[in-house]
Amino acid sequence: MEKSLESSESLLAEIIEHAGKDVGRLSTVEDSIDGQQPRIVLEPASVETVSIILAWASARALTVCVRGGGTKLAWGDVLSSVDVLLSTKRLNKSVDHRHGDLTATVDTGVTLAKLNAALGLNDQWLPLDSPWADRATVGGLVSTNDSGPSRHYHGAPRDLIIGCSIVLSNGQMAKSGGIVVKNVAGYDLGRLLTGSFGSLAVMTSATFKLAPRATHSCTVSVALPSWDVIPSVVSRFTLSPLTPTAFELEWPAGVLYVTFKSVKSSVQQQADIAEQLISDLAPVNKVEGIEETQLWEKYTRQWDKPGTLVKLSTVPSALFDSLSWLRSACKAHDIEIFIGGRVALGVVDIRLCGSVESQALVINQFRKRFQNGDGSAVLRRADTALRNKVDPWGHIEALSVMKLVKDQFDPDKRLNPGRGPGGI
Amino acid sequence: MDDNFLESLENIVGSDGIVRDSVELSTYESDGLAKLREKPGVAVLPKTSSEVQEIVCLCSTHKIPFVARGQGTGLSGGALPLSDGVLIVMTRLNRVLDVDIPNQRITVEPGVMNLDVTKTVAADGCYYAPDPSSQVICSIGGNVAENSGGAHCLKYGFTVHHVLGVEAVMPNGEMIRLGGKALDNPGLDLLGVLVGSEGTLAIVTKVILKLLRKPESVRTLLAAFDTTEAAGNAVSGIIAAGIIPAAVEMMDRLTIQAAEAAVHPNFPDAEAILIVEIDGADADVQVLFEQVEKVCSSSGAREIQIAETDEQRARFWLGRKAAFAAMGRVSPSYYVQDGVIPRTKLPEVLGRIRALENESGLKIGNVFHAGDGNLHPLVCYDERIDGQADLAQHVASQILTFCLDVGGSITGEHGVGADKADQMPKMFSESDLDTMQRVRCAFDPEHLCNPGKVFPTPRLCGEVPGPYRAHPLEVAGLADRM
Repeated sequence: MEKSLESSESLLAEIIEHAGKDVGRLSTVEDSIDGQQPRIVLEPASVETVSIILAWASARALTVCVRGGGTKLAWGDVLSSVDVLLSTKRLNKSVDHRHGDLTATVDTGVTLAKLNAALGLNDQWLPLDSPWADRATVGGLVSTNDSGPSRHYHGAPRDLIIGCSIVLSNGQMAKSGGIVVKNVAGYDLGRLLTGSFGSLAVMTSATFKLAPRATHSCTVSVALPSWDVIPSVVSRFTLSPLTPTAFELEWPAGVLYVTFKSVKSSVQQQADIAEQLISDLAPVNKVEGIEETQLWEKYTRQWDKPGTLVKLSTVPSALFDSLSWLRSACKAHDIEIFIGGRVALGVVDIRLCGSVESQALVINQFRKRFQNGDGSAVLRRADTALRNKVDPWGHIEALSVMKLVKDQFDPDKRLNPGRGPGGI
Repeated sequence: MDDNFLESLENIVGSDGIVRDSVELSTYESDGLAKLREKPGVAVLPKTSSEVQEIVCLCSTHKIPFVARGQGTGLSGGALPLSDGVLIVMTRLNRVLDVDIPNQRITVEPGVMNLDVTKTVAADGCYYAPDPSSQVICSIGGNVAENSGGAHCLKYGFTVHHVLGVEAVMPNGEMIRLGGKALDNPGLDLLGVLVGSEGTLAIVTKVILKLLRKPESVRTLLAAFDTTEAAGNAVSGIIAAGIIPAAVEMMDRLTIQAAEAAVHPNFPDAEAILIVEIDGADADVQVLFEQVEKVCSSSGAREIQIAETDEQRARFWLGRKAAFAAMGRVSPSYYVQDGVIPRTKLPEVLGRIRALENESGLKIGNVFHAGDGNLHPLVCYDERIDGQADLAQHVASQILTFCLDVGGSITGEHGVGADKADQMPKMFSESDLDTMQRVRCAFDPEHLCNPGKVFPTPRLCGEVPGPYRAHPLEVAGLADRM
């Protein structure tokens, strides 16, 4: 079908006729993504309306970009086109918390903070502590598979999702999984869509397994005397019987944070053992309660600062060498580097500040260290200029199969075109 | 089957790697679900991933369907062969390729047994967490196909949480790699959908698994109750206390008696028993175990046995894991069902199963992963009595309906396979199934890879962008077909 040439006003009038007068508005320059201003902004409040919008957009050959809280619009590849901005902000009514079953089904426009406030009424939570929780929506977190320090123990969204409702680009509604934790009936579309950057379908609700909120928590931290001690310090913990829920390195602050959450006596005992493990390095700090909350809030705010965000994932034993190489390269090219992440898992976030040319050079060089799935460095947040110079994803295995999947789900490339992994 | 094709197969695997004799092929006519039987057209036993690739290429060229089979322990007919197809038996791909203790990774071929993974790394203080009851005889390839669980998946998750990467042969013969030794890899999570796809998307030839370090402390108790409801309440109480045990298993009177007769675990005489295991750091386990004991007592446990030694713990688990096989001691035949319910619906569904037992006249034993609501009712019957086999199947099917009525699933770990493909429409709409099969069409547009499993009717892969059924716009009278 030919691309619609109607004015934005007439497109809006047409979809209002189908989906109701409060379904959307004309866009403003503030709605722009990657420098492109969409023609209209639609804010459906139900899955049925999402379906109507996508079927209509498909028939009108319009491209659709999905926006949750807008915290990750500069993630992924540069959008190749956006006619309709589909906001999930009004898909935020329902949190169905089955606390006896430790599961919840939630509209994807609900923010992480709002969800966890609701789940907290019964002492449970979705164990994700990604940055910008007050704005980041469940849909955005699933779409990017983003997580935070608690991933060390609880995993990422792909480990927690057990069901979903989706709408395909032609308006077809479907679901997969269910509300029970253990379920192998049918293909797992929830996992397939997790981390797909909205390139396959629009997820309208998601069901997760939850975790109980621990009664006590304590974060043990120590200032590391040098960069070189990192591997041995990490080993002390990974070879110990301790079960921390977070294990984060922050550099250049040079601090290791280790959190324990459980019943009071266990938290105290484990924190004491942790202290003994690292007391030879420097004075050990132990914080609980409001101080601990403030510590993590401050830690998380470092991602608000400007700069490119890169996610490095490698085998844990190669992490230190990889980071050492990167620090040297950054120094040589006058790039500031900040590191924060799950060192025991081999997954860290990196913030870079420097010229686009230097960053592009260093990132491309850095990626040559990895092969056969033993590591990757993916651009998350980056200026359009950098994303135009560096493939945000790097090498992707089996990309040809991923393109076939995209062809099946969104054959006309209407959804978040160009943005998903490998530009799908 | 065409002689030239068979000759080409033999050229790939050698004369000792092909089975053409009709009697010998009987070995492969069913998997663990013996009621479904079909002799394969031919069976091949490749030794390397290259041979697997060559076989699949040949099948693809000749448009001949194929089915991969591991140890044949599956309980849903997922490895049921095709009379006009090739059965690819993966048991000879059974090497451990790489053990990487510092990174807690192991790379194995799919024919390696589940328990052998743990045995390989036990001396290094590591283990592989998913532990299906058949772990002594089931292979990793089958575990990947079925997304197998086990008693300890309540805390540690399923196979999909422990597979980091695979090498796989696509149905067109292309060899692909998904994932790797690193935790995250860029791209769509094809691995997440491949695991649990029951061999319908590709054949896995290499698997990278995540290993866990053995917990510092493990404590296990067995609590006996006068009613299954009381045992169910104890499970709810444990979860409500914010405790996630490593495992919570329940057995009822009939399955206790069967286990006792078969392997003599010395279980108490009770209407229901719970086996609860807590593991982790010493500091955690001590406190949480005491809490579990208290919850069991306050829920009416009249006897609590605590495993003081590894041998005692092994005895508890022997009794539990032998439960399926042990039913043969109390019934000439039995039908193993696998359904899931939200944990809180346990009393309601058990009540309905009891009513069904009385109504049908067939005894129904219950053994289940109570922590995650995965029921395994065992419907006892005597196939020598006319009509009982059909009645047992009907009763087992009714139980699935009970599960779906409360928002559950038709399978928690045994898979859909050939057995439950016709039940899928009870759980999923036509649109849901159509959408899932879009994945199938991306991987296997010719429907050569284990056809006839999982889905009741195949999607025609030329249908992109998909059937345009009555759309909400049309239903609402807002638009005509655009």
